[in-house]
Amino acid sequence: MDFRVVFQNFSFLMLQGFVGFGGFAGGTLRLALPAIALGFVLGTAIGLARLARARWLSLAAGVYVEFFRGVPLVMVIFWFWFIIPALLGTSLPEYMVALTAFVVFEAAYLAEIVRSGIQAVPRGQVEAATATGLKRAQMMRHVVLPQALRHMIPALVTQFIVLLKDTSLASIIGYVDLTKAAQIVNNREIRPFELYLFIAVIYWLCSYGMSRYARYWEHRLTPSHS
Amino acid sequence: MKQFFFLGWIVVCGILAVPISGPAQTTLEKIDKSGVLVIGTRTGSPPFAYVNKNNEWVGFCIDLVEKGILPVLHQKLNKNIKVEKKESAPQTRIPLLTSNAVDLIAETMTDTQSRREQVDFSLTYFATGAQFLVKKGSPIKNIQTIAGKRVAAQQGSTNAKLIRERVPSAKLLEFPDQPAAFQALAQGQVQAYTNDGIQLAGLRAKAPRPDDYAVVGEFFSYEPYGMAMRKNDSDFRQAVNVGLMNAISSGLYFEIYDKWFGAKGEVPYPMTAEIKRFLQMQVVPK
Amino acid sequence: MNYRFDWSVLWSGQTGALLLQGIETTLELSLIGWLIAVVLGVVSGALRTLPIPPLRWLAAGYVEFFRNVPLLVWMFVWYFAVPPLLPQAFQDFLLDHGVEFWAGVFALGVYHGARFAEVIRSGISAIPRTQFEAAASTGLTIAQTYRLVILPVALRLIVPPATNETLALLKNSSIALTIGVAELTFQVRQIETYTAKAFEALVAGTIIYLILCLAISALSAQIERRVAIPGMITKRTMGEA
Repeated sequence: MDFRVVFQNFSFLMLQGFVGFGGFAGGTLRLALPAIALGFVLGTAIGLARLARARWLSLAAGVYVEFFRGVPLVMVIFWFWFIIPALLGTSLPEYMVALTAFVVFEAAYLAEIVRSGIQAVPRGQVEAATATGLKRAQMMRHVVLPQALRHMIPALVTQFIVLLKDTSLASIIGYVDLTKAAQIVNNREIRPFELYLFIAVIYWLCSYGMSRYARYWEHRLTPSHS
Repeated sequence: MKQFFFLGWIVVCGILAVPISGPAQTTLEKIDKSGVLVIGTRTGSPPFAYVNKNNEWVGFCIDLVEKGILPVLHQKLNKNIKVEKKESAPQTRIPLLTSNAVDLIAETMTDTQSRREQVDFSLTYFATGAQFLVKKGSPIKNIQTIAGKRVAAQQGSTNAKLIRERVPSAKLLEFPDQPAAFQALAQGQVQAYTNDGIQLAGLRAKAPRPDDYAVVGEFFSYEPYGMAMRKNDSDFRQAVNVGLMNAISSGLYFEIYDKWFGAKGEVPYPMTAEIKRFLQMQVVPK
Repeated sequence: MNYRFDWSVLWSGQTGALLLQGIETTLELSLIGWLIAVVLGVVSGALRTLPIPPLRWLAAGYVEFFRNVPLLVWMFVWYFAVPPLLPQAFQDFLLDHGVEFWAGVFALGVYHGARFAEVIRSGISAIPRTQFEAAASTGLTIAQTYRLVILPVALRLIVPPATNETLALLKNSSIALTIGVAELTFQVRQIETYTAKAFEALVAGTIIYLILCLAISALSAQIERRVAIPGMITKRTMGEA
């Protein structure tokens, strides 16, 4: 076992692969962070749509969620990899393809988290809000969502951990994330044990670290009063 | 549940209906609009296209495009064009091309009649043949001796198809890309790796311990490399061919060849007089 | 757009055969992986709830070690890094009998085993402590308690999240294509290679996955109905159909 290969390529693996600075447009973080932010926005919209009173809206949102939860992420990535350039008639950097695929896919899961967060808000709150004359949209914005957010945070952090691990799949279309960076070095140096062990440790640190953070929030948010 | 599925089917059909419409655009128009020539190339096929020790994406094909074809595009479109590289592999290169994700496949793609049904090829910019890479001392010497042995090939390559047809008793294992196949050989998971001779020479030269390997066997196939592009795109094809022809006639091609395959190059692989003549004869008079 | 649709590629030539082979491999991969995951998950999930610290830590170690690393990385580890460590005779045997398939199966099974363990653990912790105490007071050993009292109930409680995990396992089987396992998504790519009809191939693959997932969900709904324990509140997880 010779870990020199890791040290020699450390900046390529971490700066280029993990963060995203370098000649190749890549980066695990550069993909994961916007994906969770945008995915949350889209997921909230779809989650709200599922709770809408208009039947067509809740049905459409339901189809969206069930569809993306029934197909592998790998498939979704391939779909966008071929469809987007074909539709637009032009080529796109892998980053845009991967980001779109992740946002659309994760939104389906985030929509469920948002929906259950909203449904966990006690009905009394909704009734009180209506009684004080708030319209439905106002009620959502000022009463329900802020409270729902507290319920959602642990699940959101968990989903972010899942997303961080899922970004490794972007390597399949050539996006230079941490996994792909390790593959590139391995293809040249043929040292799979050292390289894959190294990236496993990096992913593990992030994932475990964040899950402890989620548990901290879960403790903080389990209200002692309810 | 059932209505979700049905509705989902409708949505899918809707999405599929959209691509049927849409304007067709020639490649030159596309490059003109975006200012970028997108090429599909490899990351693990030294020295044609690979990531070197400084983690830079370089290679013989990349140089041919940047130094030979790009000037012609500059001239034709009267503007500065940049090159963007995307990774391609045998099983993804044609779909990448037809879906407009890349404009030109500049890697080790063999020009064949059946592939010409789906894409157009430039003139042949190199010619080689299939051989085997084995560990030194292996009993495998050529295609006759691989019966019953485990042989690696790249998924979707011409070599894979040939082995399957000619030596059905050989256990063919197809790998997603060249480095995976080479690694299988390095770790003993297969006893031979088949690919084009010059690529095998490149792999061997770049391996951590080159002397552990040997390239064996006469060429059991003819592999002329061409750059692939979308069908019915004659203006772009003309530009690519003119670029290659100019490079050959001006000697630039041979300089680039020398850089990568010369005696002091990454992978010494002397060009035979036959191939040199073949290349020169492809250059039609202006 | 230069793309010409040609749906006939889905049933002419080799395509149908490729798709069937892909489905078969996906199901084999998923089934064996699932069995491994269930066994590992039940054992470690139960161990995590025992009053014996070393066993708890062992199980916790297994769970935290495996589930915090992406499955793709595990695929590479099981395929590239593990076989060279095995005795040569075993290696040769594997190489002749689909080493990439077995690497995929174990990567899938061990990873999802860690995830199942958490599901089982939450099921066991939903059972009131009084059950444990009552079992102890009737003279049952810990092993008997788990086997006869706790696990039968816990397994019934966790049908919805367990279904989720099973679906996840089925979908994750597609990741095995990166190590050369000829499962369904791999075959979709093969069809693309030979026919260049990416759209058609992707649609076929997607529909097949949807059907498989729907079948599993329907089966699980049936199971849930049949094993429901009257009087025990089953935990409804988020938005399960």
